[in-house]
Amino acid sequence: MAVAPLDPASIPLTLEGLSVAYGERSAVEQLSLTVRPGEIYGLLGSNGAGKTSTIKAIVGLVRPVAGEIRVFGLDALRDSISAKARIGYVPETSMLYEALTPREFLEFVASVRRMDTTTATRRLQSYADAFRLGSELEEPIATLSNGTRQKVLIIGALLHAPPLLVLDEPLNSLDPRSVRIMKDVLLRYVASGDHGVLFSTHTMEVAEQLCQRVGILDRGVLRGEGTLAVLRQRVAGGDASLEEIFLRLTEEDVGVRAAVDSFGDPPV
Amino acid sequence: MSWREARRLSDVAFTELSLQAVYAFRQGNVIPAGPSKNLVARARRRVFQSKFVISVVLGLIALGAAGLIHLKVVTDPSTFAAVPAGLFESGVLTGLFSLDIALLWWTGVQVIPTLISSGVLPALEPLPIDRRTLHQVAGILYLRLFDLPVLTILVLTPLAVGFALGPVAGLASLPGTVVVVVYALALSLLTGRFFLRQVQGSRGGGGRTVVRWAYLVLWLVPAFALFGFITAAPQFFRSLGDLAAQGPSFDGTLLVAAFPFSFAALPALAAGGTEPLAIFSPTVDLVLGVSVSLYAALAVWSIVWLAGAVRNLQFLPTRPPVDLAPVSSVLRPTGFARAVLVKDLRIASRTPGYAFLILLPILDAVAIGLLTYASPLPDALAASLALAAVTTAALLATFFGPAFFAIEVLAYSYGRTLPLSNRSVLLGKVALICLMYVVASIVIVGFTIARFFQPVIFVAFILVELPAVLGAAFVELGLLFRWARRRGLAITNLYSGAWFAIAVSIPGLILAGLPVLLFELTRSSGTELALGVMALVAVAELAIATPVALGRGAS
Repeated sequence: MAVAPLDPASIPLTLEGLSVAYGERSAVEQLSLTVRPGEIYGLLGSNGAGKTSTIKAIVGLVRPVAGEIRVFGLDALRDSISAKARIGYVPETSMLYEALTPREFLEFVASVRRMDTTTATRRLQSYADAFRLGSELEEPIATLSNGTRQKVLIIGALLHAPPLLVLDEPLNSLDPRSVRIMKDVLLRYVASGDHGVLFSTHTMEVAEQLCQRVGILDRGVLRGEGTLAVLRQRVAGGDASLEEIFLRLTEEDVGVRAAVDSFGDPPV
Repeated sequence: MSWREARRLSDVAFTELSLQAVYAFRQGNVIPAGPSKNLVARARRRVFQSKFVISVVLGLIALGAAGLIHLKVVTDPSTFAAVPAGLFESGVLTGLFSLDIALLWWTGVQVIPTLISSGVLPALEPLPIDRRTLHQVAGILYLRLFDLPVLTILVLTPLAVGFALGPVAGLASLPGTVVVVVYALALSLLTGRFFLRQVQGSRGGGGRTVVRWAYLVLWLVPAFALFGFITAAPQFFRSLGDLAAQGPSFDGTLLVAAFPFSFAALPALAAGGTEPLAIFSPTVDLVLGVSVSLYAALAVWSIVWLAGAVRNLQFLPTRPPVDLAPVSSVLRPTGFARAVLVKDLRIASRTPGYAFLILLPILDAVAIGLLTYASPLPDALAASLALAAVTTAALLATFFGPAFFAIEVLAYSYGRTLPLSNRSVLLGKVALICLMYVVASIVIVGFTIARFFQPVIFVAFILVELPAVLGAAFVELGLLFRWARRRGLAITNLYSGAWFAIAVSIPGLILAGLPVLLFELTRSSGTELALGVMALVAVAELAIATPVALGRGAS
């Protein structure tokens, strides 16, 4: 039975031939991918593979040198404000307004997101309870731990209930309880069938647990994409783990053995 | 490890500190593209320029003081006839020492928060460096914040005094100069620690915001030293003359014992003997000897305290004491421009650099307002002074306005991902500039009502000037947005982009100043006509500036 093509306005994210460069150095080359409705898409790659550059282009921090970015059918490069309004973003590093308290910061975010007092307050209360944020809400961000800052960023991304979440290593610095909450929140988030999540990580276990499909980036190029089953069939066969698939696709499996050997014998 | 190793490490740490001060990348700025070698060189150059400017000001003050003493002695002995020569010299040097302390302290107030938040020393701690070397690095790093200004004071003050009063007097100024430097460095650190806990680490909430702003007013007092001294100088010398005429008194003895007068008297004594001060107290030698010894002992204690406190500066807990007050999780979202305005005010309430820019026009208005209120000038002249104060508020708000764009550098890599147009940011900044102008103007109106009870002319003047201030703010910020778009946001950082901010201030100052100039030129034909001309020009400026600023470049 033929599958009806999706309405472009219902597709959370489409990248077409996206290229990002910093001066002469190319970071992402001709990247095309789609985050479908109801899907958590995992973007995997080693350090420097181009994951963060891709995400920065999507959220408007970096101007791509070529390609298209569409958020629910909107051209994110031309109509960036409308596209940004539909995105919740957690950056890789917690660069926040250090002189504000989390409550002051989130009030600013809620204002920019055109939220009303009742909804914004209700959501903050429930997220703060979930992440066990109490007095930290009124302390300057500069004085908070990395884990607490990460929680504030996550709340900032979820506050306006955006239809697309773009998360760059969102579980960094979180305690195990908060990691579990975040995973469950993401799974419930896409369960409605019309939201989407782009999730960058280099933790294979997390990607295996959460993502319906993954894309493997290596030196700015997409080496493979699909469900875990499809990638297993294509690359490794049998019951290979995502880590093995990743290493084979990025041709790092031999390199890993050589690197381990280069450490020599452990000191006795 | 050796001092040599400590110096080498402090050089690396200072480079890191300069980079952070200039590019603010730990606070979320995007690092400008380009070779890192160039960025490092530029950061070091900017930091040197900042220290150089302060040093030039300190040098000019020292030379000015010497010139004042020299001119009085050589060419015009009658100007301060009531003040004996030795007292006059002591008075001038008291001013010089006070200004040196104030300016050094103010420099410290600006840079110490950056030193604390940079974390460069904690980054060295896990490395195999012994504690002694780490402490030496901390000390060297702290001194390098002040090196050029301190060197200027230590070298130029004795030279300038020597030029004015002779080489022996120059040498006699050295103890006072050293004590002044030590006190300024200690005060900087003391207030830096205070700032860390009470301002930067202060929790949120309306009441605490008010307390923070009150602290920041205190924080800015040193910046007003120059202004205050110039304003108060004639009265100070008049009081010296009165005290001298009065003969020996408790007040005179108190003056001799007060800091920095006791140290300022030493060069005068070296040049002319104790006779001039004997007017105040028959036991002046004893009073002077005891007070100088006590202040010197306090300076020695300050050095010991500094050495200990500098070591721990970056390892201080930034969290305030546990506060059991209930925490609010209520969010009250507002419109875009207001959200930007409130965010900027909240950031400024924990950032002395920005608080200084907001409070300066307002405190300036308070100072001139007080002067207007208490001045013995005829009403007409005092009224002119009040109008000049409104103009100053408009010009200061316009001049400092572009600096607020630098707040956008903070957390830039997050802020740009929000659906917030440049136009909304621009409107928020314009609102802040206007708020500064309006608050300063209301202060002046308050004082003028208290004295003349004729507020109509002032209110009319303020309202008529408002469109010009708005137009100037639109033009300045519109230009900054366009430049930032082309050359990267770092141009708007206070340190790396000061020249851009000054450059865009020029058309802004012209726009804000033109209506006032026309008012003055046409005033002789009647105040109403002059206000009409002023209003016409101000509205025309706003009408032209708004579409230019809110056009394509700012959308």
